[in-house]
Amino acid sequence: MSARFNMATTNAASYKAGIGMETALQDSFLSPIQKELIKIRTSQINGCAFCLDMHTKDALKYGETPQRIFLLNAWRDSKELFTLEEQIILTIAEEITLISDKGLSEETYQQAKEIFSERQLVDIIMAAISINMWNRIAISTHLPIAK
Amino acid sequence: MSARFNWTTLHPAAYKAGIGVEMALQSSFLNPIQKELIKIRASQINGCAYCLDMHTKDALKHGEIPQRIFILNAWKDAKEFFTEEEQVILMITEEITLINQKGLTDETYEKAKKLFDETQISQIIMAAVAINMWNRIAKASHMEIGK
Repeated sequence: MSARFNMATTNAASYKAGIGMETALQDSFLSPIQKELIKIRTSQINGCAFCLDMHTKDALKYGETPQRIFLLNAWRDSKELFTLEEQIILTIAEEITLISDKGLSEETYQQAKEIFSERQLVDIIMAAISINMWNRIAISTHLPIAK
Repeated sequence: MSARFNWTTLHPAAYKAGIGVEMALQSSFLNPIQKELIKIRASQINGCAYCLDMHTKDALKHGEIPQRIFILNAWKDAKEFFTEEEQVILMITEEITLINQKGLTDETYEKAKKLFDETQISQIIMAAVAINMWNRIAKASHMEIGK
């Protein structure tokens, strides 16, 4: 599927601002694998092939196992493979992604408060928001999967 | 409903980066009312009260009429109220907002290409991406409606 246009060149200012957000989120408590789990799960829900390809490759580089990535689509049905922190991180990512459904639910927020500080919660939420931004850019412009 | 936390103070760098995304759109071709239509429609779909309150007030300040704002939820059923450009802008906004459903469809993209050049399309997309970012953080943090 060929690109419609390239956001980075057609709208360089917006693209640069998006990178600015990604840079701001480098200061995060999230481990590299936790960051990739957020990106992968969100990209699965939104159906972004470019992002899925990029972030599954990155995750494997960081030592993530193929099995956990495959099963991420059904993590609630395979909770034994994911730590409690990861489960809450994934739930937040899903609720932020499908924000129109029920927002960030009270149940999830309370569970998160038990193990994360407020700033850590913001780290997780903003990571999910950021990949939601990239998914929309990549999907709408038909960004081709890297060779 | 009181705020869960204040993300701008918890993560000032992310807030600054978000403002950066907004600022990158200041020079876009969209007029003030078109910008507000994008923000209001996305906020309606995502259910963000803070954003709805802010942007309906802004829209009225820019000369938008209450009737068009009320009817925006059903614009497809009231097309006579909206210009062809506005209809395409709203269609893009909805598809970007609900990106997981069907992406930015070929049908919408082809309609957009008839009225807008690539740069303009990229600006409409990024405007929708930006409000989707703000909706998520405002909802997640239960941002309180301005007095």
